[in-house]
Amino acid sequence: MIQSDLTVILPEIVLALFAMGALLGAVYTGKDRLASLILWITAAVMIAVAAWIGLTGSGTNVAFNGMFHDDAFARFAKVAILLSAAVVLIMSEDYMARRDLLRFEYPILVALAAVGMMMMVSAGDLIALYMGLELQSLALYVVASLRRDNAKSTEAGLKYFVLGALSSGLLLYGASLTYGYAGTTLFSGIIATATEGQVSLGLLFGLVFLTAGLAFKVSAVPFHMWTPDVYEGAPTPITAFFATAPKIAAMALFARVMHDAFGGAVGDWQQIIALLSVLSMFLGAVAAIGQTNIKRLMAYSSIAHMGYALMGLAAGTAFGVQAMLVYMAIYVTMNLGTFAFILTMEKEGQPVTDIAALNLYSKREPGKALAMLVLLFSLAGVPPLLGFFGKLYVLRAAYEAGLAWLAVAGVLASVIGAFYYLRIVYYMYFGEDREGLDGGGSALLNGILMASAIIMLVGIVNFFGIEGAAEAAAITLVN
Amino acid sequence: MNDGGHLLFYIAALPFLGALVPGIMIRAGRNACASFTAVPTALALVLLGMLAPAVLRGEVIQAEIMWLPQLGLSASFFLDGLGLMFAAMILGVGLLITLYARYYLSGDDPMGQFYTYLLLFQGAMLGIVISDNILLLLIFWELTSLSSFLLIGYWKHLPEGRQGARMALAVTGAGGLALIGGMLILGNIAGSYNLTDILTQGEAIRASEWYLPALILILLGAFTKSAQFPFHFWLPHAMAAPTPVSAYLHSATMVKAGVFLLARMWPVLAGTEAWFYIVATTGLVTTVLGAFIALFKDDLKALLAFSTVSHLGLLTMLLGFGSPFAAVVAVFHILNHLTFKAALFMTVGIVDHEAKTRAISRLGGLRHLMPITFLIGTAGALSMAGIPLFNGFLSKEMMLDAASDTVWAGSDWAVPVLATLGSLLSVAYSFRFIVHVFFGPVRDDYPAKPHDPGFGLWAAPALLIVAVVAIGVAPFLAGPIVAVASGAVIGGDLPYYSLKIWHGVNAALFMSIIAVAGGLVLLAAHRPLLRAWDAAPRPEAKAIFDALIGWAVAATRSVTEWSHNGTISRYLAIFTVASVGLGWIAYSGGGLAAPSREVLPVPPVIAVGFVLLVTATLWVATMHHNRFQALVMIGIIGLSISAGFVYLSAPDLALTQISVETVTIMLLLLALHFMPKTTPKESPMGLKLRDAAIAGVAGLGVAGLAYAFMIRDVDTISAFHLDNSYEGGGGTNVVNVILVDFRGYDTYGEIIVLGIAGFVIYALMQALLNGPAARRLKNADYSQDRSRDRHPLMMVVVTRVLMPIAVLVGIYLFLRGHNQPGGGFVAGLVIAIALLMQYMASGFAWTQERKKFEYHTLIGFGMIIAGLTGLAAWLLGNPFLTSEYGYITLPPIEKFGLGTAFAFDLGVFLTVLGAVMLMLYSLSRIARFAGETVNVEPMDYDPGERVADEKTEV
Repeated sequence: MIQSDLTVILPEIVLALFAMGALLGAVYTGKDRLASLILWITAAVMIAVAAWIGLTGSGTNVAFNGMFHDDAFARFAKVAILLSAAVVLIMSEDYMARRDLLRFEYPILVALAAVGMMMMVSAGDLIALYMGLELQSLALYVVASLRRDNAKSTEAGLKYFVLGALSSGLLLYGASLTYGYAGTTLFSGIIATATEGQVSLGLLFGLVFLTAGLAFKVSAVPFHMWTPDVYEGAPTPITAFFATAPKIAAMALFARVMHDAFGGAVGDWQQIIALLSVLSMFLGAVAAIGQTNIKRLMAYSSIAHMGYALMGLAAGTAFGVQAMLVYMAIYVTMNLGTFAFILTMEKEGQPVTDIAALNLYSKREPGKALAMLVLLFSLAGVPPLLGFFGKLYVLRAAYEAGLAWLAVAGVLASVIGAFYYLRIVYYMYFGEDREGLDGGGSALLNGILMASAIIMLVGIVNFFGIEGAAEAAAITLVN
Repeated sequence: MNDGGHLLFYIAALPFLGALVPGIMIRAGRNACASFTAVPTALALVLLGMLAPAVLRGEVIQAEIMWLPQLGLSASFFLDGLGLMFAAMILGVGLLITLYARYYLSGDDPMGQFYTYLLLFQGAMLGIVISDNILLLLIFWELTSLSSFLLIGYWKHLPEGRQGARMALAVTGAGGLALIGGMLILGNIAGSYNLTDILTQGEAIRASEWYLPALILILLGAFTKSAQFPFHFWLPHAMAAPTPVSAYLHSATMVKAGVFLLARMWPVLAGTEAWFYIVATTGLVTTVLGAFIALFKDDLKALLAFSTVSHLGLLTMLLGFGSPFAAVVAVFHILNHLTFKAALFMTVGIVDHEAKTRAISRLGGLRHLMPITFLIGTAGALSMAGIPLFNGFLSKEMMLDAASDTVWAGSDWAVPVLATLGSLLSVAYSFRFIVHVFFGPVRDDYPAKPHDPGFGLWAAPALLIVAVVAIGVAPFLAGPIVAVASGAVIGGDLPYYSLKIWHGVNAALFMSIIAVAGGLVLLAAHRPLLRAWDAAPRPEAKAIFDALIGWAVAATRSVTEWSHNGTISRYLAIFTVASVGLGWIAYSGGGLAAPSREVLPVPPVIAVGFVLLVTATLWVATMHHNRFQALVMIGIIGLSISAGFVYLSAPDLALTQISVETVTIMLLLLALHFMPKTTPKESPMGLKLRDAAIAGVAGLGVAGLAYAFMIRDVDTISAFHLDNSYEGGGGTNVVNVILVDFRGYDTYGEIIVLGIAGFVIYALMQALLNGPAARRLKNADYSQDRSRDRHPLMMVVVTRVLMPIAVLVGIYLFLRGHNQPGGGFVAGLVIAIALLMQYMASGFAWTQERKKFEYHTLIGFGMIIAGLTGLAAWLLGNPFLTSEYGYITLPPIEKFGLGTAFAFDLGVFLTVLGAVMLMLYSLSRIARFAGETVNVEPMDYDPGERVADEKTEV
């Protein structure tokens, strides 16, 4: 019994043990001198685990009496989480080392956060959900304020922590209400109680507060306030991390709770999610216009993108979940490339985040400028780039689910949002001629930037097959 | 797939494949590069020619490959009359532009790059006109925006190019995104994303409730692309591009994409009032406005740009009329406009290339210097003016004919008059183009000596002018293509029309005469008019655009700065309000059963306790600046809650609560010593009131929620625990059984967390004592705080006497815990309190010296014992932490029950004790650090010694 349970969560155990082992090992030996090594090993382990999960996993395995689900949906999310986390780690090494931020705890915390995320996406129970969520969050709180000697970073981390604690409290409140009225914390039990038209008020409150807690994690408006501050305050690689893996995890968790636990009551949460979605899209688009700091801008951009992903979720259908997964995968790929570029932005060895520094960048670095142009157009959702197909997916999902108004709102928001992405392109190609960036960036970062841009172009041929995986994942979740 | 369908794929793919060529061939020289650029275009044109006969017979050629069927996306193409005409135009002019650009671009310009962009653009444009799937069409649509952006930005060094590119990108990009929305709606109404299907469902689409949103979104896309009022302003500014680009994109192809879309969608969208009033009116306004502005532009390209705007408006207006005849005219005029406008642009390019200026005020008299250019330019301009024997005349006559009987909002003269005015202005600027550039005296201050260029440069426009004249003289040449293209637009039988020069004396003829005459008059009066124009205040589109953008940026920035100003209190306020709002949504969304429980009576004592609790809470919230007072009030709150537990028959909770309260208050009290006596004041009164209101609403919401649930019966799991507590867990104190058995795993986790918390506090203190905080601490003056009697005798005596009693109570609570209120957690706290009191009464140092065990060790042992207890269950083949229970007789005590839970509870006990004491110890380290001395007085001696002393004295 226990053995079969442990077999199911073996990947999580392996990663957790690795993280703890690395922690102990580093503490007793070289500490920060080993940071670089640990970082590479962590990335390698995460990629290995991702390959393991992605290549060998099959079917639906349930462990611990339904608390933990290993199904196609979880595997899809886990592979995306692990790969993006590994790429972020690899991207960050040079940057962190040069700014004396490379602590050995950093890769370990990322690994632990990844374990938490893996738990989250596999959760089949409110307790398991909370455990995963907190493991992730606690690691993220620390990572957000890693740059302890910087007031902005510390402040951002603290704010994130305080708001995160509040949201966790809200989520727990919702979970306990749910438990109180469903009589169980298992999703399979909750769904038996929560069916269309028979959702008691207590359960409804539980659902709403759970949603609020989860909305915080995906930084959906109006629970998004921490995002710009943390994105700006944290060191750029950590911002890149925040923009990728945790977003997938939170989104996947969101989908799991909504469909596995409240799948019978789509009507009760659809409007709320749709509301969060539309608010996020518009606020993300509108607020980004006035930004001059590219990291802050990316924060608002991520808020808007989460709005689109939520649109897929709001559809409440298998196609919607599929759309959301595809959207997230595309979003993360775009973001990795974009952040790889932001990491190379520097002047006289100092990181630069002011958009104005990109003036006439195309003159100095035509190749990179073109790659960024592709990525920014893709972020804006301009055809024929991959980002457009992501948007198309969620728009269709929403439309087919009868949320035509949401789809129209999404299009309008994307029109507004396009403005600020295009503004960066404009700066790069037609800005004023003045001193800008001088750093070339490492071959690795440039490689990731180029790869990401090429994926945006080439991916439209067949999405590299993730479509099918996402479909399988969505079907296991929504049935 | 019909015959030759696969050729469509080749046609669509050729430009894209070809785009790879110039980059490679540029190494072989500019001629080779240009030639190889021409190859794919020419090939595509040949393939198109192979398909043309079938299309001219009225067939529609289709080809399809599924791409992403789930998204409704397929790579499907079709070629009908309209597509054929446009494709031929795109490829034909593309070929001419390739030739022209070869001679136009200077040696410094990276030609390979230029041709790559050009072919990309050509492919995108071709894709638009032959796409069957509307999603595919959208992709090509945006691809034109992208590639045109690259083309416009080709000359990066020109400052005016920047603004133009930005505006073009912003306007057409946004329009394209709107178009996506419109197309998606359209596809959903029709149930298919294939144009061939959609075009058959006009009735259903026009009847749909989503018709208007779809129409508006699609029109936004079309109008922005085709530079219709009020989006017309970007086109003139995009003229910073090299002239071949302007000629190709901004006259012949890209800007026609919007018109193409209108024509393509004509069968399904046209014919409604909304269509007529939006499209026809927009077109009418644009055509007059564009022509009017063109009259006063000094830059030749700007003149042509506004003229293009005007003609696009004309086309839009014609399509907007919604009558089949007008649609035929539109198709015919598309063809004519293409020929003369592309030729004119190239002419301007030649002038610019040779004279190095495009400013009309610096030109004139070129007739003698550049005779060939003069001929070409004049022919083009005459056609633009609508003079007989040039093709512009034919379509203009027909346009005026269509306009003359169009009724607009009940007025039957508005459209004809305005259309005539548009033509009049058009005549005026066309003649201005001829007269001011080519006629007049030869000047001696041209920036460069103008002369006719080589054949390569004028060949392309000349060829176009041949077409202009050919159609103008022999209109029937264009007959077949116009017929088949119009048929595709109308989607039904063609109306009666005839392409000929002389239509007899009709209204259109008079209007035309008025236009020509009026235009000449205007030109004659151009100089004073120009002065008036320059003097008159007029809205400058670019300034408005910039101001709008600036305003939008400022507005969004102020919103963002208001809501994201970095203040956490504001964040929390938004967070709380949002949560309350969500709660409200939930409340209003669900039905509430009638209350099923009576409200309990409230005895006076309880009421007093309640008031005390609320008062103390409010006190803390308002008076927390005085930390000491706040602490006292927190104590009151804790005690009230404990009393509440007692009253509500939860002695176990009460016991735990009261010990936890005591420990925390004592620890806080000790910690308070090292902190400032007051907290800083952070927010002004208004903010406080706001926060108070929000907090009040949220608090009342939670209270209301709790109240609502408490007056209703709820199934709880208490019964399960009550039933199984003794049977399964071997104890009658359900709370304790839950802790050590039902939820033993949780407890195990909790004590580990508690232990870690103790260690963390310890470690943090360690770090603190090495940091700047330590320096502050060291320099602080605590002498004022110290009472002269730091360790009052009475207190010392009492605590020491109490110590053994407290320990005994602790052990008692521990032992009875499984069946009666008590347990390891409470016992640990009680003993911790006893020890704490020693610290307070006798001082840290004194107590520390008498400490026998390291607190770390206690925690460690606690965890190990609890863990081993859990593991023991494995030995018995049970899951982790399964409890065993049995009765043991141990003389001289009576038979008593003993379970593994007991050992587990011991672990809990030790961990709690160790953790609390470790926290205290950490505080004491600060105290020692801050200069507290080890006290030896008073009571610091062994009473036994004194007895011995007395004895010796006696």
